[in-house]
Amino acid sequence: MPVLVQLNCDIRIIKFIYLMLKRPLTSAARGTAMSVYFLKESDLTFFLGRLLASSPVIAPVAKKSKFVFAELGSAAELRLDYDVTLLPPKTAFFPVKQKLLDFGPDGPKSAITPRKQVLFGVHFYDIKGIDMLDQLFAEGHRDNNYLANREATTVVGSSIQKVSSRAFFSTVGTDVQPRGHDAFLTHVTAGYVFETRTPKGEALISFGSFEKATAAQIEEAAGVNAAVLKRCPEKLEHSSELIAVKVRNAFANEELWTDLAKDCFSCGSCNIVCPTCYCFDVQDRWNLDQVSGTRHRTWDACLTNDFSKVSLGAGGSENFRERRGQRFRHRMMRKAAYLNEKLGGPACVGCGRCSAGCVPDIADPVRIINRIVGGRHGSSV
Amino acid sequence: MGHQCKSTIENLFMPEEAEIVRAEFMTPAEKHFTLRLKSGKAMVFEPGQMLEVSLFGFGEIPIGFASSPTRKGTFDIVVRSVGRVSSALNRLEKGDSLWVRAPLGKGFDLEKMRGRDVLVVAGGIGLCPTRSLINYILDRRSEFGKFTLFFGTKTPKDQLFREDLAQWRISKNVEFHETVDRADENWKGNVGVITTLFKNTTISPDTVAVICGPPVMYKFVIRDLDRIGIARDRIFVDLERRMKCGVGKCGHCQMNDLYVCMDGPVFPYSKVQDREEAFG
Amino acid sequence: MSTSIEKAKASKVKVAFFDFSSCEGCQIELTNLGEEVFTGLLQHLEFVEFREVMTETAKGPIDIAFIEGAFTREADRKRLEDIRARSKTVISFGACASTGGITALKNHMSDYSQCVYGVNSGAPHLASQKSEPISAAIKVDYAIHGCPMDKDEFVYIVSHLLHGKEPVIPNHPVCVECKMRETVCRYSYGHHCMGLVARAGCGAPCPADGIPCEACRGFIEHPNEESLTKVMNERGRMTSERAKNKSRMFTATLRGDAK
Repeated sequence: MPVLVQLNCDIRIIKFIYLMLKRPLTSAARGTAMSVYFLKESDLTFFLGRLLASSPVIAPVAKKSKFVFAELGSAAELRLDYDVTLLPPKTAFFPVKQKLLDFGPDGPKSAITPRKQVLFGVHFYDIKGIDMLDQLFAEGHRDNNYLANREATTVVGSSIQKVSSRAFFSTVGTDVQPRGHDAFLTHVTAGYVFETRTPKGEALISFGSFEKATAAQIEEAAGVNAAVLKRCPEKLEHSSELIAVKVRNAFANEELWTDLAKDCFSCGSCNIVCPTCYCFDVQDRWNLDQVSGTRHRTWDACLTNDFSKVSLGAGGSENFRERRGQRFRHRMMRKAAYLNEKLGGPACVGCGRCSAGCVPDIADPVRIINRIVGGRHGSSV
Repeated sequence: MGHQCKSTIENLFMPEEAEIVRAEFMTPAEKHFTLRLKSGKAMVFEPGQMLEVSLFGFGEIPIGFASSPTRKGTFDIVVRSVGRVSSALNRLEKGDSLWVRAPLGKGFDLEKMRGRDVLVVAGGIGLCPTRSLINYILDRRSEFGKFTLFFGTKTPKDQLFREDLAQWRISKNVEFHETVDRADENWKGNVGVITTLFKNTTISPDTVAVICGPPVMYKFVIRDLDRIGIARDRIFVDLERRMKCGVGKCGHCQMNDLYVCMDGPVFPYSKVQDREEAFG
Repeated sequence: MSTSIEKAKASKVKVAFFDFSSCEGCQIELTNLGEEVFTGLLQHLEFVEFREVMTETAKGPIDIAFIEGAFTREADRKRLEDIRARSKTVISFGACASTGGITALKNHMSDYSQCVYGVNSGAPHLASQKSEPISAAIKVDYAIHGCPMDKDEFVYIVSHLLHGKEPVIPNHPVCVECKMRETVCRYSYGHHCMGLVARAGCGAPCPADGIPCEACRGFIEHPNEESLTKVMNERGRMTSERAKNKSRMFTATLRGDAK
């Protein structure tokens, strides 16, 4: 065997082993499909109705011209034809404002109170986002304020029926597969192919009139999920590894970051809507009696001016990322480079929420990265 | 952590009660607290590690241990009134309780120091976290080589741990040098920035150096350490600051790709020297 | 021997409300706190002057003085100085007191008096000068922003002060709060909105009701005014001149072109 081929083979094997190793042990059961079922289009409402009678179901619903994940009041509210939701479904485990503990004259009391729930209709890119948060909240110190909610939730994925106008999920972190779901629903001609991946997902079967899927139905579902990847309007043009290196190398290019952030409002919208952002601020609040109260955490945004400000006393303070460009850069470093080793790919899933949510339209990772790395949409810097 | 938690699920934000056994202002802004866990359990920690100290309703702040784990039973912190939490903490007195989560972060690399000369350079309140190491070395003196301590403050009034300073001045176990930027009429010692102390002693290139102080100090001290020839992976900097959650989640203490609360607060200088955000 | 009730009363924090150039809507907003919250506060506070609900006026020392309205007449300076001298903490109460608010719009006009009061515009009691925040006359310790001020924030800030804790006042824009509550952005409808540069803390109720943010809580630190004009023009379909002027409603004293 020629040396070069041998070498290539070895690299592929090493990469494969690496990819297998970095899967968290907790989700070992989530690797492969357990069973594949079929649900008739007309049976979905019945299935959801029964599911709703047993536990809260959080799923995509319409909000004005957009979509949000919300607790379903009835099966009729479900909108599996959504393109993307305003906020990612992480809110089901990591709400915008989360009580950490109550305090009072008798000391503190933990506020971890998970409830059993079903998170239904999650697109694969958002499942990847959930996977990343699962890992980040579990590593080092286990954050059960998140993890307890996470473990009490059954996650059902859904095929993408409509692609949002800023999505680029087909070209970002392509080595990283979604894992954190218990079942996956794919819309096919006659109904839904329902693939269970964990015992939690398998347990849902009893709520509906499922039958075993045929080979043709399974094949159709695979085709549907493959075809949607070709419909992304935006594309990254390089590997995650190359992007990580180039973005990191651009760190000291102050001119670049100042220019990219020229129109930035430091409004933090790109952070707040991101499925992989998890920064927070912790604050206390007294109840009306002024004796008892709560300690809670609220999502925070590294783009905002005060995020890295520290008080030095006597009204003085120091801000470690004082300039807009520095904060703009920090976000890109976090998304494209800093967490890659830990996560096995970038901390970005290509949902396009930041691109759509940025009023001056400067937050789009595709444009920023293509400008830095060079490509059809921009020149190398 | 979490003994108060009634739920069976451990909550890493649940602090433990600690009783104040001694509280004394060292300067108008800095108060020295000696604490004991209310549970009666010993606080297990290493020099250089930190605590999150809280007062319900006011919030939580990160503070380094100011005492050595070799001195059992109690542990010390120093609180400087700079913000909402610290100002409230400094209103507490002996017998009051506060709440702690600890130990957090990575402390000093004691293995790297054992058998070698050690130099500690502390500026202002930088003496508080380094005191955990200084007293550790003094308590296990035979495990270390020559021990030199530099301490600098703006004025003599800003000096901390006066009882300790009095001991160190006469101790044979530490070569203690002190300086002030501006003297008053009673000051007989060295006047000048902390690096002016280098001329009063000889530091060997094999020394392990520890620096903790205001951001502006690092650059100048490191210039002298470079001149002496101390390798940068044997220079440790304590970058205790701007932490919020203390457990590597909230993102506030991040400087470039490092989390001060997880990767530090003590770092080998070689690891942070190229991180632009490390020194502001 | 004093009863425990008297003791409790003696230890209550003395609070007073004062008004200057304003609509007094912020004081009225307090009556919307609801009975539970109001009686809850009364466990800790004693109102010594509050024109909207009581006839007594305070002459003695005050712990917290809430001052509503802008400083628009030199003649008011003496009264403000008297309030300051008697008060431990002075809080500007609402947009007019904190930034000049709506009243500061006149700073950019020469014919406002004629426009508003017509034939009576010459009446002596209508004479006023440039509109400024209360802090232009006396030292103000904290500001409660908003038009009207946010009643939940009022309770939150009072709670801080009761404990001797400096209030936490947000310095991030309204966008953060809109995104958090999943409000569809005004710009996605081709409308304008000032939320990009406006200080949050209100919970962003206006955009959620389909009304653009007018920045009634003033600007965040370092607002990107240039970019604001640009997006109001390009995405909010305003002429450049209109885009420039638009942002003046509540921020006349805060902008780069403040008079």
